Formats: sequence, structure tokens, C-alpha cells
Amino acid sequence: MRIVVAEDLYLLRDGLVRLVEAYGHEVVATATTGPETVEALLKWRPDVAVVDVRMPPGQSDEGLRAALDARREVPGLPVLILSQHVEQLYARELLADGTGGVGYLLKESVFDADQFIDALERVAAGGTAMDPAVIAKLLSSGSSTRRLGRLTEREHSVLRLMAEGLSNQAIGRRLFLSESAISKYTTSLFGKLGITDDDDSNRRVLAVLTYLNASSAP
Amino acid sequence: MMRQWWADARMGFARACVVAGVVMLVPAVWAVAVALWLWWGGSPWTWIAPFAWAAIGTFALSRPVCRMTRSLVEKWTGAVIPPGYRQAAPITQMATGYWWNGFSYERTRRDALMDQRMRLRWRDPAVWRDLRFTMIAPLTAGVAAAVPPAGLVAAVLGFATSSPLVGVLGLVVAVVAAPYAWRPAVPVAVRLLRPTPAMALADRVDELTSQRADATVAQAAEIRRIERDLHDGAQARLVALGLSLATAEKLMQTDPDRARALLRDARAGAATSLNELRELVRGINPPVLTERGLVDAVRAFALDSPLETTVSADGRLRLEPPIESAVYFGVAELMTNAVKHAHATRARISIAGDETGVVVEVEDDGRGGAGVRAGGGLDGLRRRLAVFDGTLEVTSPEGGPTRVRMVVPCESL
Repeated sequence: MRIVVAEDLYLLRDGLVRLVEAYGHEVVATATTGPETVEALLKWRPDVAVVDVRMPPGQSDEGLRAALDARREVPGLPVLILSQHVEQLYARELLADGTGGVGYLLKESVFDADQFIDALERVAAGGTAMDPAVIAKLLSSGSSTRRLGRLTEREHSVLRLMAEGLSNQAIGRRLFLSESAISKYTTSLFGKLGITDDDDSNRRVLAVLTYLNASSAP
Repeated sequence: MMRQWWADARMGFARACVVAGVVMLVPAVWAVAVALWLWWGGSPWTWIAPFAWAAIGTFALSRPVCRMTRSLVEKWTGAVIPPGYRQAAPITQMATGYWWNGFSYERTRRDALMDQRMRLRWRDPAVWRDLRFTMIAPLTAGVAAAVPPAGLVAAVLGFATSSPLVGVLGLVVAVVAAPYAWRPAVPVAVRLLRPTPAMALADRVDELTSQRADATVAQAAEIRRIERDLHDGAQARLVALGLSLATAEKLMQTDPDRARALLRDARAGAATSLNELRELVRGINPPVLTERGLVDAVRAFALDSPLETTVSADGRLRLEPPIESAVYFGVAELMTNAVKHAHATRARISIAGDETGVVVEVEDDGRGGAGVRAGGGLDGLRRRLAVFDGTLEVTSPEGGPTRVRMVVPCESL
């Protein structure tokens, strides 16, 4: 994969570059400020970009805004946002266009390199990778709780893992269940929530996230 | 038209009589003193007793006269004149056994109380202001207000002594002057009875002193909390992390399996310390506040809240960072109260601001009964807002709903 890395701290940028290169991917450009990030994203059109939220010049949310701007130009441009903290608000903004190819993880998710690269590849393929903490908050916020009250406990945990971006196979492995059992749960929970099931797992996950995102905008 | 004028004249006459009666009290005392002296024969030494009596009377009457004038002006025109008298501080016993009354230490409670009364009565700059008013008011407002009653008296006397010219003249003066005669009392009172700049300044200094004390105490407590959290949390964990890594390095050759297990623990430890640091950072200054400002930070908070919350705000609003922080933590505290104490299920937050300041309202559908109690959470919030000259209004009837309004002016920075 051709990757753009946007991170202002040298140590982290260097570490990220080495990590993805160790897995056989190519870093085509690095960026250290918000404007540089937009430029690199639009110039290189990478397979996926890893972007830090807080970057110069303002040390506020330049990275996030750069990613959102670039995705407005190129819908669905795959971006994985890394941050020291995760906010539902930002997750909702990233998911709002409904085109997929977004990830939003805590920086320490790189501790587990295999899982991190897995998430990166998922995002590159148009899927999603959401931090469990964000998903937990999305599921428990305001009216979500009421609307999800009809789900059984099992269905709830399947939904949670699916929202994080995992495939049926991966969910099955986490819950120690067979893939066919998982697809049975997904069918029933989709029925309860009134979402059309889709064969493409990426599009299906997106449907779930869009559903959660719409449930309680403040 | 005519009837209206008559009503004005009647009301004005009554008011003029009241004003004249109140502000002429002290001159009346002096008149009586002078009359006594003359009655006793006007000899050089008999003036002392009446003079002393009049002086005492002046001091004793000045404050009641001022209070009455103030309340009359407020009743008639709605203009509120702040009195600005010194308030009695609570008398407390110190650890040394002495009593502190806000001014000095005294050996007994009674002494402290007497000393305080004395100082409040005589050392208050308001005393001199009141005296000045009781001197000037009779010569200005008093004279003007005395015109209608004097005209009436002249009319009565004129008709009684069968000199109708004087009677008619007196009546005309009384009637024509009646609607206006009491009015000079208002500007005179407003000008002379409000706190003098020196008094206002002294009050402000008192206020700022107590705010500075609050701020210092709060800051010190906050720094202690951060130190403790870092010391017991991240710092201790990093030591453990280093230890695990050192051991793993040692075991790498001899026992790779145990080394691997230790490295896994180390990784988990690093993740835990990051979590702790993140919570700590959120408590000091939530990252969203830095990244997005007050409105989005409140939105993010509302999203994470278990309450169903609507936020209405102007997204472009940006304030000075200290104000944003104080207001954010205010909203956070109110929302926490709504969950914990009011058992609410819904909340509504509105943020409105312009160049003059910001107004934030938080309303919940909980059981109400909240109030600002000394030392309580809302009192703390009020004090934190007071640092920016901000105010806190709480409306929370028993049974709910609770509505809290925070107003912070922006020119305070």
C-alpha cells in the first residue's frame, strides 16, 4: 500500500514509518502541519493516510480538519485518524459523509502492531476502524440506549464489535463462536433495527455506524 | 387633561410634604435648640446644652433620614440607590481564644461585638456621606419641597387675617408648584446618597481580596491533586515498566517465554498509564476545549453524558481560554449534578454570546431542590465564576425542573 503519514512529533512519525515499512508498505510522503497534510493527501492520493489530530500551526484540530477537507475533495479517500484521546464528536464528524474508508483510533493502538496494520488495511479497503471506547459511547449515548434496548445481550456485543469495523469472521474469533452463528445474530439484529443487510461487510458496518450516528445528534 | 393635572398636583403636594418633613427633621432639631437657647435668655453659657443636644440629634437622625429618602426615591421613581453601608462580619473565636470581628482581635465576645458596632457606626465613610446629605438636602430639596405647604399655610393665614391678596397668592403658588416641588429631591438623593468612589473602591478591594484568596486556595489544591495523581499513577507505573523491561532483557537468553510474558505485561502497563494520563489531562483541560473551543467541547461532553441532551449554541463563539475553561467545567458540574442529585433524564444547554459576554443556561427535568449553600458545589462554582465577575442564578423549585444561568462578562479580561 502507498501510505501518507501526517504527524508532527518526530519520534512518533519515525516510529509509524518504520512500523508500516516493516509490514512491507510504502510511505510516499510525510506531513507535519495541517496545510501540508491536505496538500500531500490531494497530491499523492494514497491508498491510506495516517493522520494525527493535533498539529501545527495552531496545535488544535488541524489534522482532523485537513482529513475532512481532503475527503470533501476526494470522497472516500481512506484516512485513519490517530489521537491521544477519542471523542464521539470527532467520530461522528468523520462518519457523517457516510462514504466509509475512515478509522479513528487511540495512538496506543500501535502497541499491537498486527491489529494496527489490520485496521489500516481495513480502512484502505473502504471499511472502518473505530476505537472501542468511541463505539461504547455511541452505543450508550442518549436515545441509542432506548433504540437498542430490544437487542439481546449477545446481539449487543456483536453489534459493538461490528461497529468497531470487524468482519463476521473476526467477531466470531473474539466471541468464540462460529461464523455462521454470528451471521445468524447479525440477521436478527438488523431485522430489529430495521437496517437493510448487505453482503459487503464494509457497507454493512457503515450502515450500522450511520444508524448510531443519526441516533442522537445534540 | 385637567383631571390628570389635578391628580398630579394632589400627589405632588403629598410628596412635597413628605420630602419636606423628612429632610427638614434635622433643621427642625436645630431650630428647637436655638429656640430653647433664646427662651433661656440667650446668655453666653446657656447655648452649650441645646447645642450638644442638637449635635447628638443630627448624628442619630442622619442615617434614618437617608434610609427614608432612599426608600422614597425608590418607591416613586424606581431608581435604586445602593446604600453601601459596611456589613457586620461574623464574630469568630480564633485558635488563640481571642475573638475576631473583621477589624480587630478582642479578649471577649462582648468586646468584639462592641468594637465592631462602634467601628460600623463611626468609622464607616458612609457616616460622613450621610451627614453631608443631611446638611445639603434641606437647603436644596427641602427648600423646593417646602414651597407648596408654605403656600398653603400663607393662604390659610391670609384668609384668616382677611388679607385676601396674600391668601390668593399663596393658594396659586401652592397649586402651581405642587406637581414639581418634590422632584429636586430625586437628583439630590441620587447624587449625594450613592456610595462615594472611595467607598465603592474599598468594596471592590474587599471583593478582590477574597477572590484572590479563593483562587490561590483552589489553585494550590488543584496542583496538589495533579502531583498526587502523577506520583501514584503514571510515575509509579513507569518505574514498574522499566523494571519489567530490565528483567525481560535479562531473561531474553535464558527464558524467552517468561521474557515474552513480561514484555506483554509491560505493554499493558504502558497502555494503563496512558489511560490514567488521559483522564488526568481531561481533568486539567479537556483536549477538545483546546482543539475546538467551548461550544464543541460542551457538545462533546453532552454526547458522552447519559442524559439525553440538546445543545443550542452559536458555533463561532470563541472566548478567552480562562473563561472557556471556567464555563466548561461549570457546565460539566451542572450536568453531573443533574445526573447524580436531580436524577434527571433530559437536559438542555444553551450558549449565547456576543462582545459583551456569554450567557450559558443548563436546564434539566430532574427533581429540583438545588440551591447555593455555603461550601457546597454550586457555591464553589459561583466563586469560580466571580473571579471573572460572572454570576450564577439557580432556579430549582422542589420537584424540579432545575434551571441554572451563568453569565460571564467578557470585558473582565
